[in-house]
Amino acid sequence: MKNPITYIRQSLSRRLSLMVVLIATIIFVAALGFLFIESRKAVRQEAMDRASEVLDNTVLRVNSLLDRVVIATDNFEWLPVRHLETPDSLLTYTRRIIECNPDLNGCSISFEPNFFKDKGRYFSAYSYNNLEKGIIETEQEGNEQYEYFYMDWYQLAKLLDYPVWTEPFADYNPEAVYTQEIIASYCKPLKDREGKYMGTISSDISLEWLSKMVSSVKPYPNSYSIMIGQSGTFFVHPDSTKLLNETIFTPTLEHPDTALTALGHAMQRGETGMRQLKFEGHDSYVFYKPLGSTGWSVAIVCPESDIFGGYNRLYNIVIGIVVVGLIVMLFVFGRIIHRELLPLHTLAQQAETIASGEFNQTLHVDKRIDEIGKLNQSFSNMQHSLVNYIEELKHTTAMKASIESELKVASDIQMGMIPRVFPPFPDRQDIDLYASMTPAKEVGGDLYDYFVQDERLYFCVGDVSGKGIPASMFMAITCNLFRMIAQQNRAPWEIATQMNTFLTRDNEQSMFVTMFIGLIDLRKGILEFCNCGHNAPILDGKFLETKDTNQPLGLWECKAFKGEVIEDIRDKQLLIYTDGLNEAENMQQERLGDERLLELMADTAHLNSEQIINKLKDAVSRHRAGAEPNDDLTLLCLSLKTL
Amino acid sequence: MKEKVLVLLVVLVNSLSIVAQKASEKFVFTPQWTAHAQFAGYYVAMEKGFYKQAGLDVEIVHPSVSQTAMNRLQNRESQATTLQLCQALEIVDKGVPLVNILQTSMNNGTVIISRRDKDPLKQIGARVGMWYAGFSQVAICMSRKEHLNYQWVRFTSNMDLFLKGAIDGTLAMSYNEYYQLLQMGFTFTENNVYRFSDHGYNIQEDGVYMRRDYYETHKAQAHKFAQASRKGWEWAANHPEETIDIVMKYVRANHIATNRTLQKLMLKEVLRLQIDKKTNKREFRLRPDMVKFASQMMKENQMLNQEVTYKQLIAD
Repeated sequence: MKNPITYIRQSLSRRLSLMVVLIATIIFVAALGFLFIESRKAVRQEAMDRASEVLDNTVLRVNSLLDRVVIATDNFEWLPVRHLETPDSLLTYTRRIIECNPDLNGCSISFEPNFFKDKGRYFSAYSYNNLEKGIIETEQEGNEQYEYFYMDWYQLAKLLDYPVWTEPFADYNPEAVYTQEIIASYCKPLKDREGKYMGTISSDISLEWLSKMVSSVKPYPNSYSIMIGQSGTFFVHPDSTKLLNETIFTPTLEHPDTALTALGHAMQRGETGMRQLKFEGHDSYVFYKPLGSTGWSVAIVCPESDIFGGYNRLYNIVIGIVVVGLIVMLFVFGRIIHRELLPLHTLAQQAETIASGEFNQTLHVDKRIDEIGKLNQSFSNMQHSLVNYIEELKHTTAMKASIESELKVASDIQMGMIPRVFPPFPDRQDIDLYASMTPAKEVGGDLYDYFVQDERLYFCVGDVSGKGIPASMFMAITCNLFRMIAQQNRAPWEIATQMNTFLTRDNEQSMFVTMFIGLIDLRKGILEFCNCGHNAPILDGKFLETKDTNQPLGLWECKAFKGEVIEDIRDKQLLIYTDGLNEAENMQQERLGDERLLELMADTAHLNSEQIINKLKDAVSRHRAGAEPNDDLTLLCLSLKTL
Repeated sequence: MKEKVLVLLVVLVNSLSIVAQKASEKFVFTPQWTAHAQFAGYYVAMEKGFYKQAGLDVEIVHPSVSQTAMNRLQNRESQATTLQLCQALEIVDKGVPLVNILQTSMNNGTVIISRRDKDPLKQIGARVGMWYAGFSQVAICMSRKEHLNYQWVRFTSNMDLFLKGAIDGTLAMSYNEYYQLLQMGFTFTENNVYRFSDHGYNIQEDGVYMRRDYYETHKAQAHKFAQASRKGWEWAANHPEETIDIVMKYVRANHIATNRTLQKLMLKEVLRLQIDKKTNKREFRLRPDMVKFASQMMKENQMLNQEVTYKQLIAD
């Protein structure tokens, strides 16, 4: 199983398509989010307007019924006061009220206990519609079993002293049979001419019509209407088991619900409004409005799923389309980008093949004129250049190898020109001589030589200007010249003069050589020498001061080089060197220097020539610290021992 | 021989008539109020067959406006009825000797609820609702003692007078009207409820009573009924959910406007009131000190002509 991040990172097409889809997602989310929020607000407002309108119409219609009841009751209010002398006439009047007002179910004019002396404790003139018989029944309803003056409808008007609607209640039958019919009464205190309370006039209406009317209000398929009394009791509710049995607060008894409690209280206070809450298990909007002065309240419960049904459907479809679209986009973009980048992939494979050494790999010909086409073309050009270069390189390498081989031969020849067998004079114990030449390149321009002839030790150390092959060739000439001229038993300055004469001839390259030429009389220890522009040798730990300075050999004509003589150098160490020693550079181009050289040469009396040269070579090597040699290094150290 | 045969026949006829009488004799029990969880133990005893197991043919008949529990007992239409202690004292005082065969309540559940956030005891002269059917003796005695000068307004069965503001306060049962008001969205505060049980009036309430003359001839039946009823209450305490199922069956059959939640709360409170505060047990006994206290209090308030003693109420 691949790591998803690695899987994505491995492919440019995957990365690009993912980025495109990500950006598209952000844009979609922002645009659709804004659209949906605004749409939801609009849908909500529309629902509120619609529900409020429906609720207003319903309440208007219900109120018109309630108003008719109030007006009917008020219209007959004066009758009892006028006919107190003939209480039985009130029975007829209550009947008349029912006849004149088909909205009314019943009407009673009830008096305080013992109000009429000849009527005993109870007098309540009552007429009601007997729906079973289809007639209006009239009776005096008070008796020991029905002490009406303790009934709510009677006492409310009496105690409150103003007209009042009772809470709706189930009609009570004296035979202890409860009917499901819910009625409500409008009750008004009856007062005599002095304003003293006499009794209560009450008009009953069946809530059947009202209930049907309120129930039929259905602005949305699953919306429903409820009506509660001032006690919060349901009098209209689609679930008939709740009618009279439950209040809007019942669910809060076991599970406190502040939203529902607040709604109930708002409805009880007779407020008009809308609340969003979880009502009877569903997220709903509840629109409520009071019914006149009854203390009752009607509400339309609209489940959120109904109000936002269309909106949610649209939302889900759009989200579905967007999600599918993004997935398709991801796939399509992936394919397109993959196809577009395929030449790059091919190119990468070909590059790998070329990188593995197959420089003649045939490149795919791409006719595209875009960046990828140009890249392909450039890569093709680069391949051709590379092939040519490789060919050239091969040739050059071969040539270089040949040159190196030749240089090796030349080096061997050069090294063969200088004596390299030590000790040089094994049969002579008095001569301690050791020399070393290390070219900076394969061949160098330094030289040294020595030989003994007629108890005389001839020696020289030289440094040809420049480096490499030209210098080595000049060195070869110089070397041969020295040996040829020196063997004629001449003094060092004569050797120098002759060599200069020879070297300046046809020296078109203006090459020259600095040289120290010496001659030691082995019997007497006398040193004769000629310094032709060469570094001052070190004799016995000090630089050898020369009175006269000669020019290097080969520069221009000179009739006589000057030389010097030191009477006795026996038991003294003489070091002759080229500038590859004191001017040896490290990585920071810092030279070894003359001071350091003198330090190295101090306390070397106990060392022989070979040990001194090795010590100096080690010092140079340490000073360079890995840096390439900047010049040829030639050292010659000798001492003549007194036997 | 003839005499012997005659004697045998007489004995046989008498025996048969007694058997026939016993087989057909119904034991009518009437709770003092409409069907609800206040009488759960009796419904349970009926439905779980505890009465039948005791050999009783019990019928539960609820009272109506014209046939109150007291009327039914006095008229011998019911053999037993539940009454509050104070009611029983009144009836005995009026010359109808009663016997308490089972005391269920150990605590007083009456409360006064003020419509405003005000201590009911500070509302002197307030209109306070009381039940049309009674149950208000302790409250009246207390109001007199505290010189509250309440104007008592009798209400029939609901809280409409209170809710619409026609009265300032009302008597209520902690297991019934209290929860009805809560269900009506009424807000209870720390001040507006006065519990008699917390103020030295923890007078026992519901118990099962029968006429003493009936008791004297039907002691075994009385005892069996009491035992089966007690068993019913104990079962109800242990099986509240199933008990509510049974209560709701009676509630529906009697068309009572209530609901399961309300009945659950009522049962819980009724069961709580059955537990004696000192012993923390459901004791099912009438306390002599309670009888004496209630009797003296009512006598002092002219509700009784003479004190009714504990002995007058209990069975032999």
